[in-house]
Amino acid sequence: MRANYLFPFSSRYFGIGLILIHIPIKLLWDHYYPNGYDEHMSSADSTDFLFSAPHLFFIGTTLMVLVGLFLIAFSRERVEDEQITQLRLDSLRWAIYLNYAILLFSLIFTRGSESDHILMLNIWLPLLFFILRFQWVIYRLNRSARSNDSDTNL
Amino acid sequence: MKNILHVERAIKKMTQADLAGQVGVSRQTIHSIESNKYIPSTLLALKIARVFGKTVEEIFQLEKKDL
Repeated sequence: MRANYLFPFSSRYFGIGLILIHIPIKLLWDHYYPNGYDEHMSSADSTDFLFSAPHLFFIGTTLMVLVGLFLIAFSRERVEDEQITQLRLDSLRWAIYLNYAILLFSLIFTRGSESDHILMLNIWLPLLFFILRFQWVIYRLNRSARSNDSDTNL
Repeated sequence: MKNILHVERAIKKMTQADLAGQVGVSRQTIHSIESNKYIPSTLLALKIARVFGKTVEEIFQLEKKDL
């Protein structure tokens, strides 16, 4: 059997935890610094030193979301068989297509700092598309199998 | 590609879960194969054929659209 380079099944819960932990931290930050990250980074105080508090906070929260999504996306299913592998690859292709379609559309119809924000979103958007699509097809697969059970009692 | 998996399973009085356990896949995968939504790999087709003591061609057949 070929190695599939996936994280253990339980690591998805760690990923969900990281994303949940990130929410109150981000809310607290937004409460104390309502002007947001961009303004802090453009101010004279924060440009003096690369690892300033706002930048460290940004790295921390972005990493939490990114690692969280990564663990959810690439943790094994309970039974990681060849059909799941195919669905995983299909979903990944679908996510990349959709992401680049949105990216191209956005780059054409936005400019300046808006474009930067869209590029920033692209750090985690493909992972989010992948997770949503992959979980949706697994849900449909399970539903189909369950409805078959009720029809045949096997 | 069509198959007679559900017939073979009925002859042996096996559930989808039984067969899935013997060939190391999920029950959903057996369901997908039976309903022609998923074409198994050569390895899995050989494993399934071995469970029923038959050749792969006896269980899985090509259809006209596959040719």
